[in-house]
Amino acid sequence: MLASRRTKGGIFAAATIAVAALVASALPAQAETGVTSSTIKLGITVPLTGAAAPGYNKIPGAMKAYFDYVNANGGVYGRKIQLVVKDDGYSPATTLSVTNDLILKDKVFALVGTLGTANNEATTRLVNSHSVPRLFVNTGFSGFADMKKYPTTFPLFPSYATEAKVMGKYLADNFAGKKVALIYQDDDFGLDAIKGFTTAGTNFVAKIPYSAFSQVDPTTAPKWVTALVAAQADTVIMFGVTSATAALAGAIYKAGLLGKIQMILGSVGSDGTTLKGLLGPLAPALAGTISASFLPSASDATDEYITLFKSINAQYNAGQVFDNNILTGMNTAMMTVQALRAAGTTPTRAKLIKAIETKGSTWASASLSPILFSATSHVGYTGYWFGKLGADGNAVSADGPGKYTLYSTDSGSGPVVKAAAARPAMPAKGLPTN
Amino acid sequence: MKISSMHKKIAVLGATALAALAFTTTPTVAHAAPLCDGKVPVNSCVGATSDGAPFSMMVPANFNGTVYLYSHGYRYNVDIPAAIPLIGGYKVTNTPQPGPNATVIGYLLGKGYAVMGSGFARQGWNADSGVATDVELINTFKTQFTKTTNVIAWGESLGGFITQGLAEKLGTQISAAAPLCMATSTVEAELKMAGDFLWGLKTLFDPSIKGGNYSAGAAGYGEAMTDLGKVFTVMGKLQAGIGKELATSVPTWPDTTPAPVAAALGKIPARSALLMLGLMAGIPTQSAHFDGTTGPGSVNTSSYTGFSILGSPALAILENGTNAAALAVLATLDVEQQSGGAIFDNTKTDYAAQLGSDASTFNAALSGSQATAGMLAVLGASPRATGNPTAMAKMRTLLQWTGKVAVPTVTMVGVADPITPAGGSTYLANKYADQYAAQIKANLKAHVARGPSNLISIYNLPATHYTTFDAAGSPVTSTAAANGTNHCNFTTKQYTTVADLLAYASIKGKNLSGGALLTAVRKMGGSTADPKFLAVLPKYYSQN
Repeated sequence: MLASRRTKGGIFAAATIAVAALVASALPAQAETGVTSSTIKLGITVPLTGAAAPGYNKIPGAMKAYFDYVNANGGVYGRKIQLVVKDDGYSPATTLSVTNDLILKDKVFALVGTLGTANNEATTRLVNSHSVPRLFVNTGFSGFADMKKYPTTFPLFPSYATEAKVMGKYLADNFAGKKVALIYQDDDFGLDAIKGFTTAGTNFVAKIPYSAFSQVDPTTAPKWVTALVAAQADTVIMFGVTSATAALAGAIYKAGLLGKIQMILGSVGSDGTTLKGLLGPLAPALAGTISASFLPSASDATDEYITLFKSINAQYNAGQVFDNNILTGMNTAMMTVQALRAAGTTPTRAKLIKAIETKGSTWASASLSPILFSATSHVGYTGYWFGKLGADGNAVSADGPGKYTLYSTDSGSGPVVKAAAARPAMPAKGLPTN
Repeated sequence: MKISSMHKKIAVLGATALAALAFTTTPTVAHAAPLCDGKVPVNSCVGATSDGAPFSMMVPANFNGTVYLYSHGYRYNVDIPAAIPLIGGYKVTNTPQPGPNATVIGYLLGKGYAVMGSGFARQGWNADSGVATDVELINTFKTQFTKTTNVIAWGESLGGFITQGLAEKLGTQISAAAPLCMATSTVEAELKMAGDFLWGLKTLFDPSIKGGNYSAGAAGYGEAMTDLGKVFTVMGKLQAGIGKELATSVPTWPDTTPAPVAAALGKIPARSALLMLGLMAGIPTQSAHFDGTTGPGSVNTSSYTGFSILGSPALAILENGTNAAALAVLATLDVEQQSGGAIFDNTKTDYAAQLGSDASTFNAALSGSQATAGMLAVLGASPRATGNPTAMAKMRTLLQWTGKVAVPTVTMVGVADPITPAGGSTYLANKYADQYAAQIKANLKAHVARGPSNLISIYNLPATHYTTFDAAGSPVTSTAAANGTNHCNFTTKQYTTVADLLAYASIKGKNLSGGALLTAVRKMGGSTADPKFLAVLPKYYSQN
């Protein structure tokens, strides 16, 4: 009942509304959405269930663990970080719906680490219309660096095009003369990789697209192997999610082709711990598999970030098995804390975006690659190293612990540069002070 | 994946818009003054306007001076033969309708408001005559009931269009307006979504569908009724095919599919082709019973993933598209009759552009990028529909609303309305945003307070998950349509909240705002009035 009631209660209600409106209009400028004097609320969408969930479902827990660690050490200028986690099952339609909830109901200050290319595409209009910062999206689609189309979005991972370019160089350096085939998810994720391989001049004996989620059909992966055999491929590159990698590895193993077809994995579907879990008794199928990564090996005991994150994982994340997903989550969280600090003591969404653009390239990060954020670039990392999956499932650098040869390039036509990796030192106790 | 017999349940075509509520006896000739029964507590009056539109007025004994003028939605202007599925047996009616439904009318009368509405002089697309009828009705009411101080206009679907047109014409002669689930700004814009979809059905699934350019007179009527039957038949075949595809992964196209199409696309599931037609036309991928996100059983099973991600969006298009295609047939016949020739022309339509980012969002359900490219290539090479320039020019002379908002206005629409896209309301909001910005700028210059927004845009949002399944894992389609889906699918609470907002605006001369507005909308359930929420604009606006 808003007005016009002739009853006593109705008149009272109308008067209350009028007074409330008056009070609202007399209030000082409203605080930024999602920020109170004691909290900052962030949101993430990620598959916690469904075919794409394995492995990626560990990321929000890792992020929360790092935020809890920072909160226990004073938070961000006294504010505790809250992370609202929404399961989208990797379905873009679900992502859109739950992002509506995050923005309209939960009223988050920013989105962070939202996962999936199509999933982030699905929410772009909503995110843009509300000017919600979308930090460090968990996808390497190069298109997200388009600042006009995605003005509030910051990719952190190297693009798939970048990854394909450096992989092309790696193949040229190490697999010359081999018959290489490519299996890729037939969407912007895989097409971005095709773009990079084309730039790199990589030739394939077969290119095998698969529609996302078709890997859950048990007849799909054997068809891939049949196609590989028909093309006489001795090397296969997989640009797909982890469940697709597992399906491929299992099918190769079952076909008796282990050791005859070398698997090289894009970073998205390469987490060895998750793959071992998915493969179960077929885990030996991973022997000799090569993967690309922009973060150090999760088993590198000499890496100060790994050491810190492992200790945080033990204390704040119920001792989850430490792997690339935990590492990714904590690294994203550490970048986020630096962004929030850089936005100042009275953060706004506009200040947050400005802070990343002006200062983001200087922040501490576990990545072995430089960060290219600037007023004219929303590109994050730009390089990868290659290693073989070890017994624990984590990739191991051929250069030895703590040493990585990084292949760097852009998403366009720039050259691939090969150099020893270097990065800024980690802040004391892993607590940013920027 | 077994899909039980949904066919009978999927198409309740424009139920609200079509509802013909018989509140009063219908007079057949114009009367200078209404004939009132003088009863207490409600004085019921009937009459007819000068153009022959029967009307109804209901005035409570404690009339407080404010009357709600309701404009009903699109009613077919031809009878539908009984043999036609789902909508067969419909008879043209101009029964007056003074409110959305009896419950809401009772609510308003109980609070001392009067209500009125006509059945309009003609059915079909009648915006021009509808506005004229409403203007006359206001004057008649004021003459009859001199205590009248405020007139609130509201209406649904085409009636929402008429309401906006009336508000633009009369300005402050009315005190508040609510175009609900409003038709888009022109008949051409309104019919594009349905027209694109119908053309796609014809092209990919049944070339014998005429799809427009109907003959004059009875011959054209017969052609349209034949088309209706074919549309329902091919949608039924698609429904059966999708069920088989989800169960077996074997592409199953209707047997009426043209041979060249089958040769080019036959390895792609027909569900992907249907989904693409819906997406390129702008039909929502959430429907009364299909949320596009839920599958049967455990979330971590392949059957759940297969249904929720690959099947459900197509089934939503099936459910929504049946309504849209039927509207396309009947409204095209109607407007062609008014305009004198073919009014749908897609010779310059870029369907790839219309598909846009949906190609990425629904990539998996579309069976991947290569499949999508293949389907677009077939559409690109297919013959297009050519409109009659003279008829199209005449169609464009029909009333349009411009987006001018001079009085406090409330819009409400379901985000997944399959007939009047929510983006039509967003288009109005965008138009008003420009006016409001200019007003603020002028006020600043004159050192005057910025003033409140004259527009509240309410969107009803479907829940993330609402599809349900029976014990056998088949989707249940006998439940009520979910919030935010179907055409003009509002709850009594949603109607009465809008009515209350209008009453407030009528008294105060401005819209409710701030926390009180947020609270009122929150209590409606499943709605938002966030001014930054923008629905997807209809494809017409991105192509013109």
